[in-house]
Amino acid sequence: MPRRALALARAIPTLLLILIVAGCAVQPGGATASSGPAGSSPPTALTVGLGYIPSVQFAPFYLADQAGYYRDAGLAVTFQNKIDPDLVTLVGQGAIDIGVADGTSVIPAVSQGIPIRYVATIYGTYPSIVFAKQSSGIRSAADLRGKKLGIPGKYGSSWIMLQALLDSVHLKPDDLTIVEYPDFGQGVAVQQGAVDAATGFANNEPVQLQLTGATPVILHVDDVIALPGPGLIASATTLDAKHNAVAGFVSATLRAMTEIAADPTKGLDAAIKSVPELASQRDTQLAILNATIATWAPPGGDRTRYGAIDRAGWQASIGYLTKLGLVPNPVTVDGLVRDVSGLPAK
Amino acid sequence: MTAIRPTRSSRVLRDIAPVLAGAAAIVAWRAIIALGNYPPYILPPPEQVLGRFVSAWGDGTIAPHAGRTLVEVVLGFGLGAGLALIVGYALARLPLAERVLSPYIVAAQATPILALAPLLALWFGPGILAKVIICALIVFFPVAISTMVGIRAVDARLLELARSLRATRRQVVLTLEIPAALPSIFGGLRVGVTLAVVGAIVGEWAGADRGLGLLVNLARGSLFDIPLLFATLLTIALLGIVLYALVVLVERILVRPR
Repeated sequence: MPRRALALARAIPTLLLILIVAGCAVQPGGATASSGPAGSSPPTALTVGLGYIPSVQFAPFYLADQAGYYRDAGLAVTFQNKIDPDLVTLVGQGAIDIGVADGTSVIPAVSQGIPIRYVATIYGTYPSIVFAKQSSGIRSAADLRGKKLGIPGKYGSSWIMLQALLDSVHLKPDDLTIVEYPDFGQGVAVQQGAVDAATGFANNEPVQLQLTGATPVILHVDDVIALPGPGLIASATTLDAKHNAVAGFVSATLRAMTEIAADPTKGLDAAIKSVPELASQRDTQLAILNATIATWAPPGGDRTRYGAIDRAGWQASIGYLTKLGLVPNPVTVDGLVRDVSGLPAK
Repeated sequence: MTAIRPTRSSRVLRDIAPVLAGAAAIVAWRAIIALGNYPPYILPPPEQVLGRFVSAWGDGTIAPHAGRTLVEVVLGFGLGAGLALIVGYALARLPLAERVLSPYIVAAQATPILALAPLLALWFGPGILAKVIICALIVFFPVAISTMVGIRAVDARLLELARSLRATRRQVVLTLEIPAALPSIFGGLRVGVTLAVVGAIVGEWAGADRGLGLLVNLARGSLFDIPLLFATLLTIALLGIVLYALVVLVERILVRPR
């Protein structure tokens, strides 16, 4: 072997080692950390999993971080801003301190023994909805009979919501034609007329439909049953060890939500600062943010109750999910929620 | 030189070795749970997984998903292996084909199937077709290469002899080259059939209305039923073992011991 080739061959393991060490030193993708407080006591470190790609819907977290609300609460927050289907389990085992999870996921998770608690509501109005074009003639759940409806799959929050909605008008899924879109293409299917209606999220598909010039009709499940929407979760261990930190995080996030509701552009600017790619679609992102803000308050739009936990709704949801066979072991509201928002219980 | 005849005790040991290995794995599994004090939602004990496996097959939770995955694997493996046999032969016997195709075949193999799967789902829809294509893609490379190697390894003297006997091209291929290359081809098929299972699961992860890959996702992210997740993984492993055993069986029938 020539001398130069031999030297290169010898250098390869060293280069690989350097690359591996460098790779380990870099923070995981999407993670951003806020600086700690200026005070003398060290900040409490909190890892927060948002469970989805960076998006304008997370504007309160971005604003609270940028405005120093977390720092003022004595927190050093690190966001895990990526898609993570195992977020609930990771929060349960304490690998992530706080996560955003759907209330209807918390019930089966706790029933399966995952020690998590729902600590504050982010979406007071259940964001999973059924939507259709105005021209479809669908005005209420009863109008879905005999119609073609798109859904990503017969699982998760959309499926639970759809069954509850149909149940309220004495319909069953068999009373309509359900078309599955595992690639989440049901929104486009409504736009193109491939289906009459579809499940979606209030701050996503109907907004996209409206931007095409069509008028969406939205059917909310909240009129039927107060299913708990996405909120903040923490493990029982984290709540015991870092209760004040979790409460401080919730309080700072709710403060940012209130400010954004009063001035949505404040949230949009914060989101663009965190996710510069959003700047190219400012109008679209503002429309999505406005639709998101509309879901933060409980039905009726009482903004003073941001973060509040509707215990009666949780109780009803336990009963409904048990009926659907999603609660293999019995659970109680006290075993599911621990309100740290400081708001009076409803 | 005389072959050493296995003793009765060594034969018994050989037969029970897989059982002993399985028992050792279960003991290790149990020990990990005891030492790490892991709750069932992180690592369920083997008896809980076995119980869930039996109940999920009994109540029809797994069967429809397993059926769909099996169909995808069989169709994808058939398509991928069939094409690979033809291309592998061409690579072995046509220098131009090797020169033209090799870079693309290697590039296709080097592209992670995880990255391709969502794209294929976008192009071919969330139905069975995208999964069959993913399976076929993942099966293609090992079978094509093993076919090429096997055909190239055919004894040149035998080929010379066949030509001297005025054997037709068809006769050379069917009676000499393919039989001689079968051991190598079956090596590729053994690898390919297990990869086909991986391909189907990856395809189902990218978007599916049914299949064991979907059930894995449902169990972990929707139902939080970790014993069901393990039971599904066990089903996937058994599917791979059964299909591998079938290929070995066909190999034993077609390839005579030398």
